[in-house]
Amino acid sequence: MIQAEGIEKKYGSFKAVDDVSISIGRGEIVGLLGPNGAGKTTIMKILTGYHLPTKGTAVINSYDVYKEPLKVKESIGYLPETAPLYTDLTVNEYLSFICDVRKIGKDKRKEAIDRVISECGLEQVINRPIDNISKGYRQRTGLAQAIIHSPEILVLDEPTSGLDPNQIIEIRKLIQKIGKDKTIILSTHILQEVEAVCNRVLILNQGKIAARGTTEEIRREMKGDFRYSIELKAEDSEKARASLSGLDTVNEILKFNTSSKGFFEIRLSVKDELSSGEAIFDWAVKNNCKILSMIPEKVSLEDLFIKLTNQGEGK
Amino acid sequence: MLGLFRKELKSYFNSPIAYLVVLFFVVFSNVYFFFFNQFFSKNIATLRGYFALMPVIFIILIPSITMRSWAEEKKTGTEELLLTLPLTDIQLVLAKFLSSLALLAIMLGATLFVPLTVNMLGDFETGQIIGEYIGALLLGAAGLAIGQFISSVTSNQISAYIFSVVALLFITVIGEAAIIFNPSAWLGKVLSYLSFSFHFESFRKGLLDTRDLLYFLIIIFYFLYLNIKVIKLRK
Repeated sequence: MIQAEGIEKKYGSFKAVDDVSISIGRGEIVGLLGPNGAGKTTIMKILTGYHLPTKGTAVINSYDVYKEPLKVKESIGYLPETAPLYTDLTVNEYLSFICDVRKIGKDKRKEAIDRVISECGLEQVINRPIDNISKGYRQRTGLAQAIIHSPEILVLDEPTSGLDPNQIIEIRKLIQKIGKDKTIILSTHILQEVEAVCNRVLILNQGKIAARGTTEEIRREMKGDFRYSIELKAEDSEKARASLSGLDTVNEILKFNTSSKGFFEIRLSVKDELSSGEAIFDWAVKNNCKILSMIPEKVSLEDLFIKLTNQGEGK
Repeated sequence: MLGLFRKELKSYFNSPIAYLVVLFFVVFSNVYFFFFNQFFSKNIATLRGYFALMPVIFIILIPSITMRSWAEEKKTGTEELLLTLPLTDIQLVLAKFLSSLALLAIMLGATLFVPLTVNMLGDFETGQIIGEYIGALLLGAAGLAIGQFISSVTSNQISAYIFSVVALLFITVIGEAAIIFNPSAWLGKVLSYLSFSFHFESFRKGLLDTRDLLYFLIIIFYFLYLNIKVIKLRK
């Protein structure tokens, strides 16, 4: 498990990470989201022992990053943003080197290398120098070194970067499989990846956590972000519009178009999904309007991301 | 640590650098000794002239061995891998140092045919030759420690090479420079005492002076210690 309390990292006077606390248990896959420079990579570097926090504590698999850095490093598998490869070695030589350093005995080495070759789809390039393989294979070789010792904790900085769509699906499946009984934290720019792979998400902005939880929880927390698309039949459009916008539950009328005579397409931002639906129905009955369809819209992760990260910039 | 040592040594031989360094060292030192230094016409059974050239050759060759050490790791991003593997900073620095020392030993080993051949021509002192080789190894090891430290504080190989050449040139000739510029007698002595040439001199004569031995060991440990500090500071 990963337990970080109030971590802060300064580079000179610049605060890259500011009072961030994270708790991730076994069997969880947590996604770190944030714009460039939000502090995602710095957090990952702290969790792997590459950087030490200026303030706060980080405990990885019950080992403190300050007190037992070697135990921390034994417990983690790390794929940095740029796959860390020795391009003069072949894939096999590189993985053997990692086995050497990670003290995987010679009796278990072949089994470990064969396993990661199969899991990461490296069969075709195993004896080729890393210098001569494609970016996708390089990324997969980087991932293979991160999982070769079956670590309890996996830290992945943009793991699907440079992969083609089929490879992305395979690697996501692999991450989900590993994540069933291990702890995984990954950062990505691909918002769909978080929804596809992660149990929880942390949205970072300017070194601080802007939101945390499941994507559903974050949506709920972002009050006023429920939306309805409504098809409505009304005799007097202006009157309908005015009285609808006067409802307490309505934040804003985002769209009010005439589709044909007497029929309107409306898009609303409301305060709460359930009670707002009821209030709109009551309003329609009271105002002699007919609702032909009423579809609750879910706010996409993209919308949340933009809203949260723009809020931070506004401050 | 052994794993990293093996990988580092393998990496030297995966690139042309190791072969070029060994080839240049063997060809240049022999051409100089046998032709320019006129070993045969002097008719003296000693390899002093051969080893006299070592400090000068090392100024050019040692930086080419150490320039990649840390600078290349930083450039390619593999430093992040190394520092997150279960190895201590001491093990990282030592593995790199010992692998470059092994290459130096191979380089010196490639010249063993010289004493073995000339030994048949005259009455050479084996003890003196062994002392000369120990001195060359220590001199080279001190240069490697300095070069490796410089590589850790520079961001690319070329800067690492240039700064290392300048540093080795300075520490090698500082004694002679002190005499040329004629500073006060005590300063000249101090500067001379700090130089590689001064301490290599006794080894060149085949003598094993513990003060010289200690000097090279202090230089090696001091710069390896600085290298470890640089790695710690980066965190």
